[in-house]
Amino acid sequence: MRKYIGLLIVILTLNVSVSRADDATKLFYTLRSKILTVKDYTADVNMKIDVSFMRIPKLRGTLYFKSPNKMRLERHGGLSMLPKKNINLTISNLIPAGAVTVIDLGNVMVKGKKLRLVKVIPEDDNNNIVLTKVWIDEANLLAVRAETTTRNDGTVIMDLEFGNYITYALPDKVTIYMDVKDYKLPKGVTMDYNNETPTVAVKDKTAKAQKGTIEISYLKYAINTGLTDAAFN
Amino acid sequence: MIQLLRIELYKIFKRPRTYISFGIVTAITFVIQLAMLTDGKGFVNFALSGVNEQFDIQGNILNGYLITYIILQSLLIHIPLLVALVAGDSLAGEANLGTLRLLLTKPISRAKIVLMKFLSSFIYTVILIVWLAVVALFFSLLLFGKGDMINLKSDAFVMILQSDVMWRYGLAFAFAVLAMTTIASMSLLLSAYADNSIGPIIATMGIVVVLTILSNLELPLFTVIKPYLFTTHMIGWKGFFDDPVPYAAIGRSAIVLVLYTVGFLTATILYFNKKDIKS
Repeated sequence: MRKYIGLLIVILTLNVSVSRADDATKLFYTLRSKILTVKDYTADVNMKIDVSFMRIPKLRGTLYFKSPNKMRLERHGGLSMLPKKNINLTISNLIPAGAVTVIDLGNVMVKGKKLRLVKVIPEDDNNNIVLTKVWIDEANLLAVRAETTTRNDGTVIMDLEFGNYITYALPDKVTIYMDVKDYKLPKGVTMDYNNETPTVAVKDKTAKAQKGTIEISYLKYAINTGLTDAAFN
Repeated sequence: MIQLLRIELYKIFKRPRTYISFGIVTAITFVIQLAMLTDGKGFVNFALSGVNEQFDIQGNILNGYLITYIILQSLLIHIPLLVALVAGDSLAGEANLGTLRLLLTKPISRAKIVLMKFLSSFIYTVILIVWLAVVALFFSLLLFGKGDMINLKSDAFVMILQSDVMWRYGLAFAFAVLAMTTIASMSLLLSAYADNSIGPIIATMGIVVVLTILSNLELPLFTVIKPYLFTTHMIGWKGFFDDPVPYAAIGRSAIVLVLYTVGFLTATILYFNKKDIKS
């Protein structure tokens, strides 16, 4: 009798975990479908780049996005800076496309909110994304955080805050944490003015020094307006 | 006093060689602008290679503000020579021509004569820097347009919004005037010692070149003396293109330059007061 009870518990446990994995897979695919409903958008943005070796003022401009990976920041005559194309500033590029394996890591509490954490591994070996962890707000079907490990560009973490455009899963604010390489030019070339005050780069020579942060506040979106490729030239 | 200053300015601007300086400034500026028009993109790509690896920078990087910065950086090495051409000639040139003795027969103190010569050299320096500002900034903006300015330091990439650039140039040119005034005062001192103008001009350039090398060598041996060299502080104008602007450091540099200027001028007056004028 004890043997049968034990067997029943094992079967039930397996059943529950298979069911949870299926559930997580379904959740991820549903989330991805929601995110992919946005084919393009134009948004007024404020961008703040915080990289140890960069001193850049807050940039205001218009961000153009077209699925799957076209992005351009227009600054009306000013310079625009975006991370290299493969580290895109939109969540759709930080979650793997195509067939994936989803591993359910259960529920976690983040800032007092219960979120479902899933690990997503693309089945295509050539995908630049090796692994993505997604923190999902199940109630609203939103990716609140994504941590993506790429083959060539290190690890990119994206935090998303939602507000007015929740139905499109478009955030009001995005914070991206990315790996940055060191920057150095010979002093003989730049002929620096030695002001004897440590630069930002020197001050930040701590563990944080190799991390960069990009903060984007989206002020207003125009979604699925049918942007053409010409807008990205 | 005003009459004496007028005479000194007349002497400076009557000579054709004074205008050579303005011609040289214009020529170098146009050469740099031409070089940047033809091969500027390659230069910018090389300079930005460290940043381009990680970021896509789009827009008019090679704009008039960046070109002016490059011109200013290269010209401020040559401008001491152009300043010395006038300041180094002011006393020694007169000694060479034999007019110095004649000048000293007038009922004006030697100190006043030195001060007026310094003041006229200062006015010439201001006009030269203003000319540089006009030629470099105006024509660069005309040829390359406006845009946000980038400033590449050895350990930092600084971006300045175009609406935030002009006041920095105003202060940078004002600082350049201060730095060149120090050169003028040194040249005047050397001029007091000489009886022909070639010596002070060459000596001025020699001192500037040697001290500039010392200021830029990253060797512990020179680290101790660097803060005391005026050449270390002459590039203080670059501080205005940093973010945040290191006002304290720029202020210190300005004080050092003023002290040097006053020191050179005082030494000139002291020496000239005792000098036995033989020509």
